Amino acid sequence: MERSAYSPLEMMIVAASRLIADGMVLMVGTQWPIVSALLARKTHAPGAAICFEGGTVLGSAPSRIPLFTGDPVTGSCACMMGDSLDTLGAVLHAGFADLAIISGANVDRFGNINTTCIGDYHRPKQRFGGSGGAGDFGSLARRLVVVVEHNRVRFPERVDYITTPGYLQGRGSREAAGFRAGTGPWAVVTTLGLFRFDENGEMVLAAIYAGGSAEEVRDNVQWDLRVAEDLETLPPPDEETLRLLREEIDPLGIYLRNARATDKPYF
Amino acid sequence: MTSQDKIMSMAAAIERYVKDGDTVYIGGFISHDPFAAVHEIIRQKKRNLTLSKCGGLIILDQLIGAGCASKVVTSYIWNPIPRPAHAFIRALREEGPERVQLEEYPILALTLSYFAGALDLPYVATKTIMGADFARYRSFLGEEKLKIETSPFTGEKVCLIPPLKHDVGIIQVHRADMQGNAQTWGFLGDTKWGLLSCKKIIVCAEEIVSEETVLRDPQRTLLPGFRVDAVVAEPWGSHPSYLMGCYDLDWLYLAFYERETRTADAFERYLDDWVYGLKDRGEYIEKLGAEKLAGLKVKSWTGEPVSYGFTPFHQEL
Repeated sequence: MERSAYSPLEMMIVAASRLIADGMVLMVGTQWPIVSALLARKTHAPGAAICFEGGTVLGSAPSRIPLFTGDPVTGSCACMMGDSLDTLGAVLHAGFADLAIISGANVDRFGNINTTCIGDYHRPKQRFGGSGGAGDFGSLARRLVVVVEHNRVRFPERVDYITTPGYLQGRGSREAAGFRAGTGPWAVVTTLGLFRFDENGEMVLAAIYAGGSAEEVRDNVQWDLRVAEDLETLPPPDEETLRLLREEIDPLGIYLRNARATDKPYF
Repeated sequence: MTSQDKIMSMAAAIERYVKDGDTVYIGGFISHDPFAAVHEIIRQKKRNLTLSKCGGLIILDQLIGAGCASKVVTSYIWNPIPRPAHAFIRALREEGPERVQLEEYPILALTLSYFAGALDLPYVATKTIMGADFARYRSFLGEEKLKIETSPFTGEKVCLIPPLKHDVGIIQVHRADMQGNAQTWGFLGDTKWGLLSCKKIIVCAEEIVSEETVLRDPQRTLLPGFRVDAVVAEPWGSHPSYLMGCYDLDWLYLAFYERETRTADAFERYLDDWVYGLKDRGEYIEKLGAEKLAGLKVKSWTGEPVSYGFTPFHQEL
């Protein structure tokens, strides 16, 4: 299949969904993680449990795609509606989540994520919404997967604010800070490739997509990115996966084509 | 106070229980957001409030933009469509006394501080946020925001989060009786713990129901009546937020709000149109119009009724 047959966003969503194994308990953040987790359940991981920060656990496929994790549609496909202490507490903090998956604004060399601000915290050049549950995800998850659209601005050597702690200044510093051993970022999935973390907690390019190159990725991060010796090229999505994604999971293109009708007049 | 005295108008409830300088918990988590109550707070020009809300979203954006808040504790303030919450961002950039002081925690950490407040625990020990910038950047809570200590049991590092208590809390629910027993369901987030950490509680309900209705399904009760100080009958009180099974989130209104509040002047015009220019929620609903309301009414999706049955005493007992 030619690269033009699917979009970089679709490739990113598919690559992220492939990291989800059947039977896993998932903590799922808003935006791309919702689509990736729903796709995994429709394909190779029908038994994955999807938990949201507000207390919901999904039991079946939603009749339309949730616009965010607290979407009212979740009430008709949840097997449990508890509160934040049920999911962020008794699932994530307690260590029952096999994998946690979030989106973010910026990601740095050690997998720290910023969804708070650009520039000085007290006089930000740009201000985002803030953590939501992301700070807890990064603190507590055994396997943290980050899904973000790739451009050079999004990948500074150091983020201006650590909303979601990755390996801080390196793997040792994470444990020194007091986080549990064995927690931390596990993979970063972008529109250009897939990254893993080495023994120092530094991001390494592990895989690119068909038609891409390591040089293209290196040009799009702000530090001297390491590339794995056994760099892989991930296979493109198959026809059936693309069909499920476009026709069953997001037929209106709310995520795939950003079709959110935000400019439609109210009156 | 007799139970009869708890039923009051929104204006009376806000007048009586929300004072300038109070620490105010705003319940809800995208759903259950008490917009009708918040608009009354804005109309009554309450000042110097410390606002506390996990999912701040545009309900805090409105209170901040209206000048009601001097301090804010939250995990997130954004318009979920998703676009920026403009009044909040303007307030952060403001110079001088108009500037809002912002204290940020992620959701679990903040919910745990409410939990500690609700149970009157001295603190909660947790493994979240010890190395993130929540510990580094502190605002008005300063040293009282959190402390990294050594566990006396395991010797490991722990993050101690103190209780966050509130003078008053406000929530929109499905139904309440005259005693204040408040029943609701759906997406709750931190709401239960936030409310239980409040000295006074204002319950805004879509409908006032009989005590019998409450007794028939006690598991739906979020708050027992003895914790509730005011009960306000306020249909559609959460719009543009939602209440599961009643009405849907008004996505297009959120987008409209985002477009209409991009500058300080535009924000003032928005408040004139949708808050100051209206006497109460009744006028707000009228302004929205029957067609909009009909479009937000959800289709029914009910479960099997549950039984709370019991056996009568056996004869031989």
